[in-house]
Amino acid sequence: MSHGSPFHRTAATRPLSRREFLWQSGGGLGGIALASMLSRDASALLDTVSPPPLAVAPKAKRVVQLFMSGAASHLDLFDFKPDLVKYDGKPSDFGEKVETFQDGLGPWLRPVWNFKPHGACGKMLGETVEELGAHVDDIAFIHNMTSRSGVHSIATMLATTGYQLPGFPGAGCWVSYGLGSLNENLPTFVVLPDHRGMPSNGVKNWDSAFLPNEHSGTVIYPGTANPIDNLHPHAAGRFISESSERDARALLAELNRRHEAPRDDDARLDARIKSYELAARMQLSAPEVLDTAGEPEHVLRLYGLDRNPATWDANINDAEESYVFAQKCLTARRLLERGVRFVQVWSGNDNSHPRRNWDSHEDIRRDHGPLSRGMARGAAALIADLKQRGMLEDTLVLWTTEFGRMPSSQGGKGRDHNPFVFTNWMCGGGVRGGVTYGESDRWGYKPLDRKNPTTMYDIHATMLHLLGLDHTKLTWRQNGADRRLTDVHGHVISPILA
Amino acid sequence: MSLAAFVLAAASGFVPPVDFEREIAPIFAARCLDCHGPSKQRSGYRLDVASIARTGGELSAPNIIAGDAAASFLIRYVTGADPDMQMPPRGEPLTEGEIALLRRWIDEGASWPESASARVADPLDWWSLKPIVRATPPAKSPNAIDAFIAQRLARDGLPMSDEADARTLCRRVTFDLTGLPPPPEELESFVADTHPAKYERLVDRLLASPRYGERWARHWLDVVHYADTHGYDKDKPRPHAWPYRDYVIRALNDDKPFARFLEEQIAGDALFPATRDGVEALGFLAAGPWDLIGHEEVGEDKIDGKIARHFDRDDMVGNALGTFASVTVQCAQCHDHKFDPVPQRDYYALQAVFAAVDRADKRFDADADIASKRASLTAEIARIQAERAAIEQRTAHACGPDLAAIERELHAAERADTPAEFGFHSEIAAERQGTKWVQVDLGEPRAIASVVLAPCSDGFNGIGDGFGFPRRFRIEMSDDPAFERGVQLVRESTDASLGSPKSAPIAFDAHGGNARYIRVTATELAERKDDYIFALAELQALDASGRNLAAGAAVTSLDSIEMADRWRRTNLTDGIYPGAKHAAARTAELRLAREQLRARLESATDTARRSELDEALPRATSALAALPPQQLVYAATIHTGSGAFVGTGAQGGKPREIRLLARGQVTQPGELVEPAALSLLGPILPADLGLAPDAPESARRAALARWLSDARNPLVWRSIVNRVWHYHFGRGIVDTPNDFGRMGGTPSHPELLDWLAATFRDDMRGSLKSLHRLIVTSAAYRQRSDATNPAAAAIDRGNALLWRANARKLEAEAIRDSVLAASGSLDLSMGGPGFHDFVVEQPEHSPHYRYDRADPDDAATFRRSVYRFIVRSQMQPFMTALDCADPSMRVDRRNQSLSANQALAYLNSGFMLAQSARFAARVERDAGQDPRAQIERAMRLALGRGPDDVERASLERFTQRHGLANTCRVILNLNEFSFVD
Repeated sequence: MSHGSPFHRTAATRPLSRREFLWQSGGGLGGIALASMLSRDASALLDTVSPPPLAVAPKAKRVVQLFMSGAASHLDLFDFKPDLVKYDGKPSDFGEKVETFQDGLGPWLRPVWNFKPHGACGKMLGETVEELGAHVDDIAFIHNMTSRSGVHSIATMLATTGYQLPGFPGAGCWVSYGLGSLNENLPTFVVLPDHRGMPSNGVKNWDSAFLPNEHSGTVIYPGTANPIDNLHPHAAGRFISESSERDARALLAELNRRHEAPRDDDARLDARIKSYELAARMQLSAPEVLDTAGEPEHVLRLYGLDRNPATWDANINDAEESYVFAQKCLTARRLLERGVRFVQVWSGNDNSHPRRNWDSHEDIRRDHGPLSRGMARGAAALIADLKQRGMLEDTLVLWTTEFGRMPSSQGGKGRDHNPFVFTNWMCGGGVRGGVTYGESDRWGYKPLDRKNPTTMYDIHATMLHLLGLDHTKLTWRQNGADRRLTDVHGHVISPILA
Repeated sequence: MSLAAFVLAAASGFVPPVDFEREIAPIFAARCLDCHGPSKQRSGYRLDVASIARTGGELSAPNIIAGDAAASFLIRYVTGADPDMQMPPRGEPLTEGEIALLRRWIDEGASWPESASARVADPLDWWSLKPIVRATPPAKSPNAIDAFIAQRLARDGLPMSDEADARTLCRRVTFDLTGLPPPPEELESFVADTHPAKYERLVDRLLASPRYGERWARHWLDVVHYADTHGYDKDKPRPHAWPYRDYVIRALNDDKPFARFLEEQIAGDALFPATRDGVEALGFLAAGPWDLIGHEEVGEDKIDGKIARHFDRDDMVGNALGTFASVTVQCAQCHDHKFDPVPQRDYYALQAVFAAVDRADKRFDADADIASKRASLTAEIARIQAERAAIEQRTAHACGPDLAAIERELHAAERADTPAEFGFHSEIAAERQGTKWVQVDLGEPRAIASVVLAPCSDGFNGIGDGFGFPRRFRIEMSDDPAFERGVQLVRESTDASLGSPKSAPIAFDAHGGNARYIRVTATELAERKDDYIFALAELQALDASGRNLAAGAAVTSLDSIEMADRWRRTNLTDGIYPGAKHAAARTAELRLAREQLRARLESATDTARRSELDEALPRATSALAALPPQQLVYAATIHTGSGAFVGTGAQGGKPREIRLLARGQVTQPGELVEPAALSLLGPILPADLGLAPDAPESARRAALARWLSDARNPLVWRSIVNRVWHYHFGRGIVDTPNDFGRMGGTPSHPELLDWLAATFRDDMRGSLKSLHRLIVTSAAYRQRSDATNPAAAAIDRGNALLWRANARKLEAEAIRDSVLAASGSLDLSMGGPGFHDFVVEQPEHSPHYRYDRADPDDAATFRRSVYRFIVRSQMQPFMTALDCADPSMRVDRRNQSLSANQALAYLNSGFMLAQSARFAARVERDAGQDPRAQIERAMRLALGRGPDDVERASLERFTQRHGLANTCRVILNLNEFSFVD
């Protein structure tokens, strides 16, 4: 494990002094360490804020999270409910008072697509996601997920940070903090947003909040003119040339070293000099990572990226959704392969009209169709690609969405929010394949066993467990509490561990 | 108890009471305390502290009801009577004997001797909760701070370091107090100045500069998590947040006493009414994030709506207590605070303080004269209207039902032309072929000559007249409200053009049929916009004489969108519909009839008075209208809204009921909680706010403000001096400025902290400028930062004891402002709306804040960074790379990171490159074409010193090869530019 990534903690050439340690750690650590130092009782307190040693033998080294933003329907994709087919169009009756976001409690609505069994396990999948059928024997489906909120922003934050309020680090930040970097030249945690917009809460889903800044998710927009902010000089720097750049670096280093000489017990000065060297290295390595053109033909074909149409239809369509999602999946694989710990891929963040997100209040077929076909194509290709490289066994693929959708119809063709039950799935990285854990009830309205649902805390706990981290011990002291990704909750879902 | 003793006791009718220490405590110790004891308190419950054992717990408190074992949950849990909860959860259940003892102990009164819980430490025994004790400085010293610092150093045998040179000191204190570098000329004249008090004079000049308020307001805005957007979903802008930011700058520049500064921010409206500051300061309570969807799209009756409002108050409580008292109260929302003496009840008592307010734009008059004119005119109008109403009432009483009838008809006639009440409107259907019905109830069967339908008119989607009028429908009458029996068909209409485009009412002959209910069923709906509806403005049932039997009749329907006032069922029989016949003529007739009736029956004095009032009212209203427009500030306020976000305005600002929420869940409300402050100061400052039960809501906030600013409140006065110290030295005397609890730090210099708090509170009367002056003129502050002292380094490498000064890495704002200052671009205009260094795309739905699309040469963005429009969900990339505060968190200390993405932001961002070019142009203007002079000037502007020979040679060579802009870029990237000694 190295902390030498340019986006990660910059390592001094010699061990950090206490003073340097205090300065660099920023945030909560300084105060604790100071307090304990003054009381001459450092060890106990320091232990509570240092990243803990691995608690268990890790099965996974890295994570790729596919986040369907806007609430993907479990009922039309993964969680088959024969009763909805049988009672399609009949008045819905939940047997209790139901509160939904837009009161979408119309008649029962059957899955919009037909379901078929796949794999040795016979998992039923809706036809738009049947490309994932080839991998169901490697996937663990969790059908009794439940959220604390039916409001997108809150539920999204719960799924990304474990808290209902903004101001907490994303899961990838915790992984970066807990495990550090696997590479020299790339960030530890990369976010590939939907190129059309930000999810609700924006960067609050992946920034480091109170953890040191180097654990923040770095946003990359593959396939665009400026995929990483500030990687190259802005157009305002017309006066910069290749040779000026080379000389500028040398001059900076020279003048900074002279400035540092009489202040050599301040490690920050050296660290800042090093950060410029690392930045230069990253300028060389990042373009290579993002350039997928060099991938062999069979890989491009696997992802459906062998043809790049110049223009897309103005309306939401299968071809575009497949292309843009698969492109992110392939980029994710290249990043993971080069040692990025955590890649978060977002699908569907166009909130204009017609919508290109998963929030299908009006028409499941219209929105979920292209989005789910595109997602299945990209995700299936990613799993196949990781498998053929021997990476699937230590790469956790996590498919999430903030909540599900109601079995009753809204306005005839749409579905309202269902925070009571929804589906997540995991694949690879020490997950037992071909299993379904937890069930929803006969309508897919609530968990079958209402007292024992699965929560995002459990997903996060399981993810950390697979990475070798004990979720109760990965903490950071802030405003009076030892904060965790799992707050004070979370249980590892043992039945889905291989 | 031996068998013999038991027999004896039973025989004598006397059973000795259960002995807690000997018989009960051991059961708890063996079977319960692992989870409900000193180390863990599952469900907030513990069985080693009597008070919590009796009353605590999140699920079913109280768990022990003295005298009633059968009703006590403790017994239910250990006996397995509750299928969900068997205690202990693991291992063997308690034996029957143990359970019998517990039962008997509770039935006998659950006595728990004091001595049994004396083992638990007193939770109030903690440094920050004790009264401030003003120590005498340990030695004579011109500055008492130095006496305390030197004394502590001496304990380790350490001296302070020498004073830094004049150039270093000038840069240090100028950055520290104003966030900007000293202009080169001022720096040189300071260095050359020989006056013994030159440093003190410099400090005074800096404190008097408006730049001081801008610099220190930014620190304050970190702590209160201020931003110009809501955050969460959509992240809409708050265009009127900035007046609060300007208030903070003004308050600091005016050196407003701290107690007043505090009180204004929590209850300025109540404590300092009709002052601008008293309103704008309330932006403090609204500074944090706000869940727009959870408020505007989800009502308070829904769970998600309740959660949104719970967290809204939570943020206000956290901001108020965290900012001013450095207490982490929010840890007590699900259970009693695990480390500090904040019971869950205290947390909800604080929520009750803020239970009436919401965040919204608050209207006010910044000018006090206008505010008072507005107040007196508003009062006058209210008085006139009240007096007039009293006269009307007397007259109405005298006139009886005839007047009421005229008034009703007049009301309808007056509003017929442009009614706000459109009619009945069904829910929206996706298909044209749907069935929707609406019916009226005449109260009893009546003979009906004709049924009249009036179509609606609504400009939506350019439809206008005939809006929602069904293409096919039928009219039926029946005495059966379900229309299953005895249905008489009035008309089956298949004429799709009937309703449109005419808007005149259409009459259908009912042939004098007798029925109680009339139903209109749409069988083919009207198109709206890619969807379909059924709407009607009015339904009349006329008898043979033409009288409308359906006026005011009850209306039912299959469904209805019910959006008051425009669309609702009752509008169908309210007499208001487009083109109500001869409305104008009828209005005149009715008014005349009303006047005649009144003239007949009203008393002469009332008539005279009424005409006086009728003249006075328009005078007052037009005077009110002529006042200049009011200002807005986004603040905590009583909100009167519509839709899902209604606020408490319609209830006259009556606070919402606050209940203790088990586990912080809105679905598990417990007992009602009344407003109060915190109980953690014990007798020093009681939590009771002394509020009358009917006190207005603002009295709650006023009382909390006074509780906080009370001279006896040790937390508040320590908190503020510690924050100021933190910003001056890079580290507080307590290094967790937001947390003075057991999870936070303890003071490195407790006597100094108390001395400063007492001096600031009493001698300085809360003057922050006096506090700054005292601190920055101390020898401790003026030490060299590059001093070396191996002995000190060995003991205290972190320099907590201040054996030298701390070199400081400048914050994002100071860097950005210094770049602008060096380049000569800095625009020092103060106040007003924040500048945008982004382009907004798609503002109508979810605004995209595109920093990459902004023009870095836009001069509108050259203002100081404190005036930047701050977006929560998409934080400014350059500032974020430089560790600016995250406005979603209450930031007491900035992170300090050094990473490659920060280096790339310095090197390549549009801001830095555009400014490098401007910096070069400025240097050329100032120094001409001579490279030597250029480098001299550039170094002085950026670093406050000239180059040495080696630097000069390197920079000259580089400039000759690559031009001055590249040189300027290098200088702005130097470590020396970002660090201050």
